[in-house]
Amino acid sequence: MEPAALRIAVLVLTGVIVALLGVLLGAWWTPFFVGAAFGLIIRRPAVAIPLGTVSGLLAWLFPLAGAQLRYGLGPTSVSLAEIMGFDHQGTLPVVLTLLVGTLLGLTGAWLACAVGMIVRPQPR
Amino acid sequence: MASAPKRRPRIRPIINLVAAILVTGMVLFVAFLPAGPLPALGPAFNPTSGAWTMAADAQVGDQTLRLQGLQQPVSVLFESNGTAHITAQTDHDLFLATGYVHARFRLFQMDLMRRQGEGRLSEIVGKAALDTDRFELQLGLLRTAQTEWSQLSTSDASRDALIAYAQGVNDRIGEAESAHQLDAMFTLLGYRPQPWSPIDSLLVKGDMTQTLNFTDTPLVMALLNKSLGTDLTSEWFPVQPPNLQAPYDPGPYAKASTAPIETVTQLTDAEAQSAEALYQRLAALPPGLISQGGASNNWAVAGAKSVSGGALLAGDPHLHLTLPAIWFQLTMDSPGYHAAGVSIPGTPVVLIGHNEHIAWSLTDAQNQQTFFYNEKEDNAHPGMYFWNGAWQKYRTVGYDIPVHGGQAAHVDVRLSVHGPVITERGQATSVWWAGNLPSQDLGVLLRIGQAANYQQFRDALRDWHSPTHNFVYADDKGNIGLISAGYYPLVAHGQPWLPMPGTGENDVTGTIPYDQIPQVYNPPDNIIWSANQRQVKASYPYYIGTASNFFDPGYRADEIHRVLSRPGKLSASDMMALQTDTRDFLASEMVPVLLQTLAGTQLSAKESAAVAQLRGWDYRMDADSVAATIWNAFWSAYLDETFSPWWKSRAVPVGREEEGNSNKLDDALGQDLETWTLHDPANRAFSAPGVGSRTAPDAQKAAFQKAVAQLAQKLGGAPSSWSWGRVHARQLENLAHITGLNYGPRQDRGDANTPLAAGGFPSTHGPSWRMVVDWGARSFQGVYPGGQSENPASPWYTNRVDTWWSGLLDPMLSADAAASAAGVKKWSLRP
Repeated sequence: MEPAALRIAVLVLTGVIVALLGVLLGAWWTPFFVGAAFGLIIRRPAVAIPLGTVSGLLAWLFPLAGAQLRYGLGPTSVSLAEIMGFDHQGTLPVVLTLLVGTLLGLTGAWLACAVGMIVRPQPR
Repeated sequence: MASAPKRRPRIRPIINLVAAILVTGMVLFVAFLPAGPLPALGPAFNPTSGAWTMAADAQVGDQTLRLQGLQQPVSVLFESNGTAHITAQTDHDLFLATGYVHARFRLFQMDLMRRQGEGRLSEIVGKAALDTDRFELQLGLLRTAQTEWSQLSTSDASRDALIAYAQGVNDRIGEAESAHQLDAMFTLLGYRPQPWSPIDSLLVKGDMTQTLNFTDTPLVMALLNKSLGTDLTSEWFPVQPPNLQAPYDPGPYAKASTAPIETVTQLTDAEAQSAEALYQRLAALPPGLISQGGASNNWAVAGAKSVSGGALLAGDPHLHLTLPAIWFQLTMDSPGYHAAGVSIPGTPVVLIGHNEHIAWSLTDAQNQQTFFYNEKEDNAHPGMYFWNGAWQKYRTVGYDIPVHGGQAAHVDVRLSVHGPVITERGQATSVWWAGNLPSQDLGVLLRIGQAANYQQFRDALRDWHSPTHNFVYADDKGNIGLISAGYYPLVAHGQPWLPMPGTGENDVTGTIPYDQIPQVYNPPDNIIWSANQRQVKASYPYYIGTASNFFDPGYRADEIHRVLSRPGKLSASDMMALQTDTRDFLASEMVPVLLQTLAGTQLSAKESAAVAQLRGWDYRMDADSVAATIWNAFWSAYLDETFSPWWKSRAVPVGREEEGNSNKLDDALGQDLETWTLHDPANRAFSAPGVGSRTAPDAQKAAFQKAVAQLAQKLGGAPSSWSWGRVHARQLENLAHITGLNYGPRQDRGDANTPLAAGGFPSTHGPSWRMVVDWGARSFQGVYPGGQSENPASPWYTNRVDTWWSGLLDPMLSADAAASAAGVKKWSLRP
């Protein structure tokens, strides 16, 4: 593996683990800061933003998948849909949940990249 | 000369940054902060501590838990249907563990109930609840609960129970917060429960008292008096019931020591204005804060009349059917307390159930416990009212009400000697309500749970004040009893069914002596029954409320009495069958009269087909009965035909229906209509202004034709297709008003007059718990609609509904029997 690719892989793995640990400890907003870290460390938005997005998604997806395996989320997601006024559309709370995690990672990375483009010297 | 290199424009990064800031701001805003009806999405939906924890919360397995405050280990067994069996080595531990178990399954419900009582709903739902909170703080449940708590002596067993119970609830709150297991509703509403206190338990008890007992009836009577006139009001809404009822205590009675009640007089304009303002205010409050008339059944059969040779007892209190239910089923065992049955989450005792020797259940007694007083004020004495010949200063209490998403509101409550002033419009009106009398009901319930015979049971009830209940009793020696325990206010003189002058002459002066309140023990016919009917005959020497608006019309009691008094012995199966009896006693009286009236009348094809359905009907309001639909439509039309012209011509400001459902006013008028139809068909009521001279048969014919026409329009097709289930359904309503979490509406049998109570369209009130005890077989059975858990994702949210719907009961196992049952789960609670 190329050193650059290896570096990115390590970064991604570390980011996902940090985000996941944060979420598991109740700090549900961790993916935002992990995304921001990607944005600051990786200079290319085309790489940093997808990585932030994926780390946010995975950080919220893994605990949800774990709960599904341990308890089954069917009745819970249907109940949440009913509470939110979506009738029996149990998939909607799942989508909404994953969307929140994803957006946290995405916006963290995007914001950091956007700031970086302003404050860093531009290549000539 | 070469030109200087052009600098790249910096506009794109700036646009990018602005866009990133905007989008990030929006995402973080909805993630961290609530927006309109949406909760903050981050805390609400994150998979570790958000609402998804409902999934883990729905699981109940074998566990060992450590609880602060426990003295010894406690065992908690859960049957597969969720019934809890708590066995403790000390009384303190029993109540602590009960608090923990209640909170584990019903913490949000408990929090809502205490918030309602203490006027703090606005704190979580916003200004929509502000009127409710203001009213509750005026009425004074919080003041009463605080007084009750302060009056409990340090040696009182119920004080210890309340303290231990609160510790158990707080153990659960602490555990749930640290493990991110708070009920999802807390997460979605974005708040955390405050620690539980003993006063909170007393507030929950106060909520129930208010629901069952606080009434606006004197205001309604005042408005009727003003609009219909004194003569029609006293004729149509009399003190004694116009119809024959089935009082369970037929006397003889002791002589009264108070003056007789005076006849009705006309209200002044100021009094009527005040009554109307207050009536409108109370009518705007959410359901449940004003008693709408009780509907519960209980009865007992002595050993001498039972198949098993032991006493039988049956009870089914009728309440708003909610999810979660008002009840939590459990067995409580400790050295000093053993009781099995149902408790109200938030309170540490069994309210209805049995112990080793006695069983008990209750229905609402319905006597008048709410009195309104018009306070005399004048401009020369600001902040004062005239009472007992002198100007008195109001006592004032102030409260701040936190409002979610808004500024805190403030309410000042003025208190006269009668009670809180609850309206200032027209004339200051205060309310004397027995629910505001400090009443150590939890201590009474503790002593009932410990009673071994009728004497101890009756002695315990001596201290019960409000709400007045018909406590039915059966013991393991074959004895039965019924006592309508509670406070029966005596008014010196005046018209207590109307708002009265607050100047002192009409004050409550005491209560009916305990030995003279309605009660029976081992009656000669070996049966006793109550279904909110007037408990005593007209010769009872005390005023306890008007026939029309405080007591039930009595048809359920009539039907129960009819079945129980048949020759032969009765079994537990007969008790179960009677609890789900759908025979409408009023229909059994009225339909033969209607058929006689219609005989020889020219009818359309549809009307003839409808008559054919009524002929041979067994008067059962079954879901597949066509006659039931026709009868119900006819009775409603008959009431309209008789009374609507009066309501219109006299501009009566009190409606006879609420959202299409009959209310207690129609119940009262129905008793009149029943009586006139049977005994006075030429009563002047049938000849209302604008309809000319008519008799009961004339009104019946017109009503029948209208009923058939209405049904044809509504249901279409042939009358044979008009089954009761097409128009009548039942619904269990989610406590948080989330309609998606309701159960139903589902077609169902019964109506307001049947022992299986199911009034309304859809019916949302009914048998909230059914229990049958057979001491001869030592069998105990019970069921309530719903489940033990408030978590909609839990299998214990609605798991009991089907059993209840089909009229079956579950065995109430002892803790020993439960331990060997299939699917049992065990919690070991450790200090």
